[in-house]
Amino acid sequence: MLTKLAMTGFKNRWRDYLVLFSGLIMSSAIFYMFEALATNQEFLKQNSSISMIGIIFQFGAVLLTIITLVYISYANSFLLSMRKRDYGLFMLVGARKGKIGQLIWLETLLVGISATIVGIILGTALTAGIGKLLINTLDLTLHHFAFWHTPAAIATLLLYVGLFLLAGLFNLITLTKTPALKLLHSNEQPNRPRLKPVRQLIEIILGLILVAIGYWAMANLALLNITGIGLALVTIVLGTYFLFNAIFVWLMLFLKRLSAGQRGLNGFTLSQLSFRIRNYTKMLSIVAMLFALALGAITVGMGFHAQTPLMANGNSAYDMGVVDANATEKRQIAKLKPVKKATYHFKADKKAVYYLASEFDQQPFTITEMTSQAQLDYHQKALKSAALSKSHDLYQLMQLQTSDRQRTAPVFLSATAYAKLPQKEQQLTIFATKDLMANLDGLKDLATLRQQRDKGIAKGLLGGRYGSYKLVNGMYSGLEFMGLFLGIAFLAMLASCLMFKILSGADADQHRYVMLDKIGATQKQRRQAINKEIAVLFVLPGIVGVIHVLFGLQMFKLMMIASPYSGIWLPFLIFAGLYLLYYLITINIYHRIVLR
Amino acid sequence: MTTPIMTVSDLHKTYGKPGTKQYEALKGIDFDVQPGEFVGIMGASGSGKTTLLNMLATLDKPTSGEVTIHQQPITHLKGNQLADFRAKEIGFIFQDFNLLETMTAFENIALPLTLQNVASKKIKPAVEAVATQLGIAEFLNNYPNELSGGQKQRVAAAQALINEPAMLFGDEPTGALDSKSARELLDLFTKINQERAVSILLVTHDPFSASYCQRILFIKDGRIGQELHRGEQSRADFYQQILDNLGTFEQ
Ligand SMILES: Nc1ncnc2c1ncn2[C@@H]1O[C@H](COP(=O)(O)OP(=O)(O)O)[C@@H](O)[C@H]1O
Ligand SMILES: [Mg+2]
Repeated sequence: MLTKLAMTGFKNRWRDYLVLFSGLIMSSAIFYMFEALATNQEFLKQNSSISMIGIIFQFGAVLLTIITLVYISYANSFLLSMRKRDYGLFMLVGARKGKIGQLIWLETLLVGISATIVGIILGTALTAGIGKLLINTLDLTLHHFAFWHTPAAIATLLLYVGLFLLAGLFNLITLTKTPALKLLHSNEQPNRPRLKPVRQLIEIILGLILVAIGYWAMANLALLNITGIGLALVTIVLGTYFLFNAIFVWLMLFLKRLSAGQRGLNGFTLSQLSFRIRNYTKMLSIVAMLFALALGAITVGMGFHAQTPLMANGNSAYDMGVVDANATEKRQIAKLKPVKKATYHFKADKKAVYYLASEFDQQPFTITEMTSQAQLDYHQKALKSAALSKSHDLYQLMQLQTSDRQRTAPVFLSATAYAKLPQKEQQLTIFATKDLMANLDGLKDLATLRQQRDKGIAKGLLGGRYGSYKLVNGMYSGLEFMGLFLGIAFLAMLASCLMFKILSGADADQHRYVMLDKIGATQKQRRQAINKEIAVLFVLPGIVGVIHVLFGLQMFKLMMIASPYSGIWLPFLIFAGLYLLYYLITINIYHRIVLR
Repeated sequence: MTTPIMTVSDLHKTYGKPGTKQYEALKGIDFDVQPGEFVGIMGASGSGKTTLLNMLATLDKPTSGEVTIHQQPITHLKGNQLADFRAKEIGFIFQDFNLLETMTAFENIALPLTLQNVASKKIKPAVEAVATQLGIAEFLNNYPNELSGGQKQRVAAAQALINEPAMLFGDEPTGALDSKSARELLDLFTKINQERAVSILLVTHDPFSASYCQRILFIKDGRIGQELHRGEQSRADFYQQILDNLGTFEQ
């Protein structure tokens, strides 16, 4: 009988359950995605040149577990807020507490476990989908990447089942220990927003000090090593929490005093926000941290991606060299529309490759010269034979030779000396396209053609700009992939976290908006009030998150050759777009719950 | 005879969509309210009082019939017009204190004005004036959960009155109050009815509350069955008359 009653409650609110359910699915899917990389030791080893990567992932896993904990407690309070009234009523009509406890326990576990299983399936699909997408669009080479990884699935299942057992226990205790009447009228009690200047000043100072320590630790990672990352995580989360706690109250009271704070429903919105301060500050500091991690990961990933052609361009002025090009190869070169092209004759023995000095005087060879290693600044210089033979950038010509002669030094001879050499004469064609990145496909085809005669190419001895590109890309692919993949996962997590926290308040808000309607607030005014309130909750952690990222990128000065800050607008823009999307979804659902 | 402030003509309300199980809660209601009148609507539980009040106060739409307030038909108001009308012309007080627990008493009372974007310079004196009249000036900075039931209802009344509405509607406003607070609130209604010349429509099942009205309409099974005028009687006599009447009316 009671089970039947519980089911009707379930049916009446299937829409809210759908929100809850999809949120839990999202969360477990994301956790699985993360674990699919983090528990795949082979993958981590093979795809990163950074020895710390394993430990970074372990930190990430701990962090994500904590976040999941918080997330589930929010999702659970959302569930509880939906069910309190129903269960209160059952108790009033005389249902036994034991029976109700059983029901709650069962309901929580059922919702949780089924969501987790669907989540793992979705996570597998997402891992495969996002993985494919990134690999294809970014031209990545990954080893041992697997979208299904059993240890990851087990870890996800264990964590979630464990957490839901706890959540069920928690629900059981709250619901059965609270008197029925209280359940029926369980509205949050307001926190009177108070200014406590001394306490808030201490909080601000403490917060600033903690955040400063965190920023310092990130900038001095070389000194602190792994402890630096742990230190930064702890201090920044705590510092952000103190700052939010101190500044939020003050900010709301300040805004209320402005005349704009009194117009329309603004006063109502500010009251709503300060009413929920205590609830929100914890979540906001976590969201700010997640925001920073997600944005940081994406920025770093894209930074590695942007760095690849830079490094390739700095390595050579020519895309490739072809020795004794046959007709097909010549056609392929012509198809690439080279902007720079030269052909040199040579004869070669074991010790050296002999070129005609006069040919280099007529068609000087262009070298690229680094002006500063850290900033990847370089300029190009065309050198004639005399200068070239003395230049330490002569290796750039060597790399354009066939794979077996990459280490054989070029020698420039006069016409007479050259004529005396008994070896067969050969011909080296070198060329550069206008834009390496735009011609990757054509260059790949040419490399395949060359490989038929020059087996060494298969081992990566390709030479030239394209060869460097392949080399660097192989080196960075793993990092790039992890950065983007984790960024997307963290973003999804943070947005769902925020969404749930906000939506779990929607139920309590419903009667407030009904009242506003009765008092004469227009539909538009009510919509805008919701939009503003939620915008504040999205924007605040966003701003703080951006600041964290800007400082956090200091860490990557160690690993990245170009400045981690260059081209930063692109990931920020993409991120802002995704974040906006989440905001729009959230207000949409909120409107539907509150204004129906 | 003056022009009535509110007219109600042939009002019907049927709950439930055609084809499903339907219930006719109002079966043709007609009456007028004169400016400054204090009218009570009495009936047993389930007789259709709340349904009627919701139609009159624009909170729900009748199936047929018309209601005018200030000669303006109100049943077809929509969107912003409806919101404006609610904000300016009418005020409500319900049994379950319609206050926002996130805002102080002051902010709650001021809300109808801020909604109209009235300048904050004008808001403060207006709120203080009405709060003084209703005897809650000292509680303006309290949150609803820091007030007693009677105080809450007075804050709700202040909020309903702040825009100087033409009509004040109350649906069992004393329903959740102890008898002393109820008496104070009803005295207050009488006072604002006289001092502000605001018309009041009070819905109640309680004869004591009804005895504060000048005229009582008895509703039964969705129809108005009978009407009682207090005239020059004392309240105690009127109360006795209501009780006697109920005895016969409910049979
Ligand atoms: N939304 C509704 N849907 C269907 N029936 C309703 C609805 N609201 C009220 N009723 C019915 O209309 C009748 C009158 O209800 P109501 O006006 O609330 O009575 P009162 O306020 O006099 O106690 C009752 O029989 C009630 O069941
Ligand atoms: Mg009623």
